[in-house]
Amino acid sequence: MNNRRIKNIIEALGKHKDEESIEVLNELGTNCPIDEIRELTSKALIRKNNRKSLEIIITNKGKGINDLSAQVAMCSINELLALKDKKDAIEILDNTIEKHAEKEVQDTARSVRALMAFSS
Amino acid sequence: MQKISPLRSSIEAFNKFKSLRKDKTQKSPSTNPFGIAFKGTVIQMDVFENSNSAVKENSVSEKFKNTGKLLASAWVSTLNKFSSIKTNAIAFGNKLKDNSIQLYKKAQELANTKIEFDVFKYNVSNLQKQPVGVLRSMLCEELKGAANNE
Repeated sequence: MNNRRIKNIIEALGKHKDEESIEVLNELGTNCPIDEIRELTSKALIRKNNRKSLEIIITNKGKGINDLSAQVAMCSINELLALKDKKDAIEILDNTIEKHAEKEVQDTARSVRALMAFSS
Repeated sequence: MQKISPLRSSIEAFNKFKSLRKDKTQKSPSTNPFGIAFKGTVIQMDVFENSNSAVKENSVSEKFKNTGKLLASAWVSTLNKFSSIKTNAIAFGNKLKDNSIQLYKKAQELANTKIEFDVFKYNVSNLQKQPVGVLRSMLCEELKGAANNE
């Protein structure tokens, strides 16, 4: 795997102003079977700090904080905690705790929300 | 009566032994000039090979035979030399052929590869300037390669 190239492309998509870049990251990055790439994609989406990108990471089962790989999930949580502006992330977490259909996703969102409360 | 002292008797015995030894050496028909002995016995003349008689036995026909043998052995050795030279030459030719084929294949591979300055091409700031569609196709390609390597 050419790590550097993939890393740079994902980073560039994360910094891209076009909203379509979120779709590309969601479609190709978060569904990739390689843990390392999913981890990079989650980080890029969180750093975007956009409602759309944060929703992908928080509300989808098997992606971002709900990823089956513990490392990917923990990295996503760390990245969320490291955000300077946590306003959007907290809003989405609250909505997820209240309205999401999946209990597992709700539980994870609750745990992350608690951590956010401690960190802020 | 003469009194025999032990010293005198021993000297007499030694003298006797000396004279006996002298007689023995004079009587022995040995012509061995070096006095070579084998297991205690002195080797006699007839043991040594007479080279003069052997020279006399060598007839003209034997000389011819020997020259024939020499010629034959020389011919065989030349044949062996030629065959070894031939096999070496064939091996060298084969090696040369294999090497040239490998070189040709490598040259073909080199001709098919594109030389790119991927340091600039895959720079984040350069990539950001690209449209999302291009980045998508690039990511797809790289992910395919990564999946194949995994």
